[in-house]
Amino acid sequence: MPAQAAHLRFADLRRRFGRLRVLTGVSGEVAPGEALLVNGPNGSGKSTLLRILAGLLAQERGTVELSQDGRVLDLSERRRSLGYVAPDLALYEELTAFENLEFFARLRGVPAERGRELLDRVGLPHDRPAGALSSGMRQRLRWAWALLDRPRLLLLDEPFQNLDRAGIEQGTELLEEHLDAGGLAVVANPGPLEVPRVRSRIELGL
Amino acid sequence: MKTLLSWLLWLWIGLVIVAGYALVPPLAGFVGGGESSRILFFHVPMAWTSFVAFLAAGIWSALYLGRKTRQRRHDLAAAAAVEIGLVFCLLATLSGAWWAWVEWGGARWELSAFWNWDPRQLSITAALIYYAAYLALRSQVADAEVRGRIAGAYAVLGLFVAPFLFFVAPRMATFSLHPEPVINPEGDVQMDPSVLWLLLAGSLGFTVLFFWLHNLATRLAILEDRNEVEA
Amino acid sequence: MSGRASSWASEAAAVFVKDWRCELRTRYALNTLGLFALTTLIVVSFVLGPVGAVPELAVTVLPVVLWLIVLFAVTAGLPRVFVAEEETHTATALRLAATPSALFCGKLLYGLTVVVALEALITPLFAVLVKMPVARPGLLAAALLAGGYSLAAGSTLVAAMVAQARTKSALFAVLLLPVLVPGLLFAVQLTRIAVSGEVPGQELRMLLLYDGTLTVAGFMLFPFVWNP
Repeated sequence: MPAQAAHLRFADLRRRFGRLRVLTGVSGEVAPGEALLVNGPNGSGKSTLLRILAGLLAQERGTVELSQDGRVLDLSERRRSLGYVAPDLALYEELTAFENLEFFARLRGVPAERGRELLDRVGLPHDRPAGALSSGMRQRLRWAWALLDRPRLLLLDEPFQNLDRAGIEQGTELLEEHLDAGGLAVVANPGPLEVPRVRSRIELGL
Repeated sequence: MKTLLSWLLWLWIGLVIVAGYALVPPLAGFVGGGESSRILFFHVPMAWTSFVAFLAAGIWSALYLGRKTRQRRHDLAAAAAVEIGLVFCLLATLSGAWWAWVEWGGARWELSAFWNWDPRQLSITAALIYYAAYLALRSQVADAEVRGRIAGAYAVLGLFVAPFLFFVAPRMATFSLHPEPVINPEGDVQMDPSVLWLLLAGSLGFTVLFFWLHNLATRLAILEDRNEVEA
Repeated sequence: MSGRASSWASEAAAVFVKDWRCELRTRYALNTLGLFALTTLIVVSFVLGPVGAVPELAVTVLPVVLWLIVLFAVTAGLPRVFVAEEETHTATALRLAATPSALFCGKLLYGLTVVVALEALITPLFAVLVKMPVARPGLLAAALLAGGYSLAAGSTLVAAMVAQARTKSALFAVLLLPVLVPGLLFAVQLTRIAVSGEVPGQELRMLLLYDGTLTVAGFMLFPFVWNP
C-alpha cells in the first residue's frame, strides 16, 4: 500500500540550549519521493533538527509544516505520520521484540501481524527480549518500529549505526521502497552517506 | 508619574498603619486591653495578598501553557509572583504565630502556644509548602521551555487544590480533638465598622504593593533572560 | 495512514497491560513498594505494640500511621511509572506513538492497582500487629480505595513532572505531599471513623470530590507536561 503523498517544509528553525546556539535559522523542503541529507560534525545540531521535525522538541523560532493534500497537519497528526530512527530511541527491554511491536501496534490501531511481518523483513527473532539483542539487532528493531504504521515521513538519525553490511543493504532497500511509494525522508549523519534519491543537502555547524 | 504613584502607595500604607493605632478601637478580649489585636491590620492583609499572589501565579502559568499565549514573560511573571507571594505568606504565618503566642503563651514562654492547628494555620502552611515546592521544581529543570511547562502545570494544579485547603479544612476542625479557634474577624458582623474598613484598606494597599514589586521583579527577570540569550 | 481506528480505550488498555507485563517480569515496583511498606510496618508495630487495645489511641494514632506507611511506600515506588520511561529512553517512542490522555489513563490505572494491591497487603497485617479495631470494615475499604485513588492520581501527574527534572526521587516527595494534603486529611478522618464506629459526615463525599478534581486536573495538565 503506497504511502499517501505528503510535503515537508521547515523554515528558519532556531534552538538554543542555555547559552549554546545549536540551530541558527535552518530551512529546507522535501517533496514526495525525495530524501534530504543533513550532514555536520558532532554537536552541530543534526539530532536537534530531527527532534524538532518529529515534534519531540519545541523550536524557539521558525515553522515546521508537514502537509498532505494541501492541508498542514497539526502536531499529533504529524507525529502519527512519521517514523523515527535515532540512537537514543529505545524499546522495552523486558518485552520481546514482537511484544514491543505488538504494544506499539495496539497504540496505533495496527494489526499485530504487521509486527511479525516487519520482524521477518529485518531478520529478527520474534521472541527474544529486546534487552538481549545485540546493538546491531537493536538498530534493526528500531527500523521495524519506525515502519510499523506505514509512515509518510521517515526521520533517520544515523540510521546505519551498528549495522553490518547486510543490515545496511537492507536499510537502504527499505528506504528506497519508502521513497518509491512517495514517502519523504530526512537523513542525518555525521559523515557522508550513500542515500538514494537525495535531492538536497544541508550542512550544519558552519 | 511612577514616582507619584509610589509615593501615594507609601502614604496609603503609612496611613493604614497610623490609623491602626490611632483611629481604631482595640478589640475586646485581647491581651493588653485589646492593643495586641492591632497586629490584625498587618496579619490579615499579608494573608490576603499571598492568596492574590498565588492566584496570579496560577493565571500567568495558565497563559504560558496555552499554545497561543506561550510567551516567556508569562512564565517569568508566574515565578516572580510565587517568589514574592511566598514572602507575604511567610510573614502572614509568622505574624499569626506570634500573635497566638502573645495571646496564649506570652507570660509562660510556652512554645506550644505558637501553633494551634487552627484550620487557617493549616491552610496557610500547606500553601507555604506548596509554593516552596514550586520553587524547588523550577531550580531542578535546566531547559527554560520545559521548566515553564512543568512548573506552570504545578502552579495550575495548585489552583485546583487550593479550594479544598481553604474552604474544606475548616470543616475538619469540628472533629479536631484540640479545638482552639483563633479569632478570625473576616466576616465577623460584630466587628466595629472602622476595623473592617481598615482591613480592606490595608489589604488594598498591600495588594498594590505586591503588584508593584512583582512588576519590578518580572521586568528584571525578563532582562536577565534576554541577557542570557544575547551572550 | 493505516486506516484502522485505534480506540482511546484500547490505547489506555495497551499501556496498562504493558506496564503490568513489564512489572511482573522485573517486579521492581512491587518489590520496592512492598519492602518499604513491610519494613516500616515492622518497625512501627514493634515500637507501638498492641496499642490498638487502648481505644483513644486506636482512633487518634493508628489511622495516621497506616496512611503514613502507605504514603511512604508510594513515594518510594510510584515515580517509576514515568521516571523509568525517561531514564531508559522509551519515552521517545511513547511520545510518538501514544495519545497523551490515553497514556495518562493507562498509567493512572496501573498506579491505582499497585496502590490497592499494596493496601490489601499492608492493612490486614497492620490491623493484626497493632490490634487496630475496625468498627466499620466497609467504610475502611472505601477509605482505602478512595484515598488510594488520590495517591495514585497525584503520583501519576507528579511523576510525569519530575521525570523531566533532575534529582527526580527527592523532588517527587517534595512536590507530591502538598498536593496530597487535602486528600490525606479526608482519608485519615474517614479511617478514624471506620475504626471508631462513629457516624460519618461529609468525609467520603469530600474525598471523592477531591479524587474527581485530581483526575480532571491530571487529564487537563498532563499533555502540557508530556508534550513540548
